[in-house]
This record gives sequence, structure tokens and C-alpha cells, in this order.
Amino acid sequence: MAVAVSLVVVSHSQKLAEGVAELAAQMANEKAMIVAAGGAIDGSLGTSADKVLEALTKAESADGVLVLVDLGSASMAVEIALESLPTWQRERVHLSSAPLVEGAVIAAVEASIGSSLEDVARAAASASTLKKFAGEE
Amino acid sequence: MSSATTTITLINKVGLHTRPAVKFVQTAAHFSSTITVVCQTRQANAKSMLQVMKLGAGGGAEISIHAEGDDAEEAITALTQLVAEKFGETE
Repeated sequence: MAVAVSLVVVSHSQKLAEGVAELAAQMANEKAMIVAAGGAIDGSLGTSADKVLEALTKAESADGVLVLVDLGSASMAVEIALESLPTWQRERVHLSSAPLVEGAVIAAVEASIGSSLEDVARAAASASTLKKFAGEE
Repeated sequence: MSSATTTITLINKVGLHTRPAVKFVQTAAHFSSTITVVCQTRQANAKSMLQVMKLGAGGGAEISIHAEGDDAEEAITALTQLVAEKFGETE
């Protein structure tokens, strides 16, 4: 079982989920556990509650798991997967509306320094306030 | 309980951009002291990735680092060294 908060990245695209996980892991100097759950079961575009459940199980951590999603129905797949988890495990999972890329990177760094699930979730959620260009309002 | 402060110029090209900011935050997190970074009028908790990124401290910017706690001196030494070594990056 992982120590520190781990992340699950859910996307309609397997490549996108894996790419975000790769980027965030590298940004955090490989000091955070990030599991990708992208695409439908057959690898086509879509989301799969089974894949999410598998990722949640793999990412299971005593310190908690933060789930980040890309679009629309990804959240439904996550909610269905959560229903299959025992209550004690579900209580350690936090669902985030954070922007996927920035949220994952910031959450990974926060997780890498041992921040609590609450702090990791808060940092990820605030990622939407980051400006990408200098001077942008 | 002790405290230490330093003012240092970011000599790497991009300043406290994402990757250097990660190293800065991960280094700061090794210490128990409370560490704050100030750039112009903005202030950040050195152990918060988001706050450090929002400082907007670019290359050439001057930052002040203040640490308070039992390992304040060590924290300032480590962070100063990190900045002086350009965060281990080549540019």
C-alpha cells in the first residue's frame, strides 16, 4: 500500500490519461503514485467504471486518493466505480473538479511532500486560478 | 526556535517556474521550520506548490526567504544552495 496521497487520472482517452499521469509523475520527480484510467474497456474513446475501479484499487492508500477527471461522463464512471468499494475505502477517496493537467501536476507535487488529502485536494482545486501567461487577468 | 532570512537573485533562466518550483517546494518540505518566500509584494508558503508558482518569480527576480523554526538555518542554507545551483538545471 502506498504511503502518501495517491492520484487517479480518469480520461475519455487512454493516451490522455497516461500522458497526464506521466507528466505529473515526472514533475513531482517520481515521488507520487499516479494511476491512469483512460478510455473504454476496448481502448476506444470513452470511460469505464471497471478501469476506474481497477485504478482505485491499485492507488489505494491509507492517506487517501484524489481522483481527477477530464470531461462530463468521466465523473459518472467514477461514481459507479465508487459504489463497488467498501465504505472504509470510499471514505478515503476525494473527487476533484480541478483542471486535469494543472490539477494533476500540483496535486502530485503536494502529495510528494506528504501533504494530507485535504491539502492536496485544496491545492488541486485552486489550480484553476493559475495564469498561463504573464500579465493575463 | 530560531529564524533566518536571506535575499537572493534567481540566476536561472526561468526563475521559479514549474520544474524549479517543484525542487524548491520539495526541498523546503524536508524542514520542519515555517518557510515563506517573498517576491516584490507577493508572499508564499515555501511548502505550497500553488503559492510558489503564483509568486510569478521569473529569471532575474530577487526573492527573500524567511525561515522560522528549529532548523531555520539549515533550511535557508539548502534553499540558497538550490537557487545558486540553478535548481540543477542547465539553463
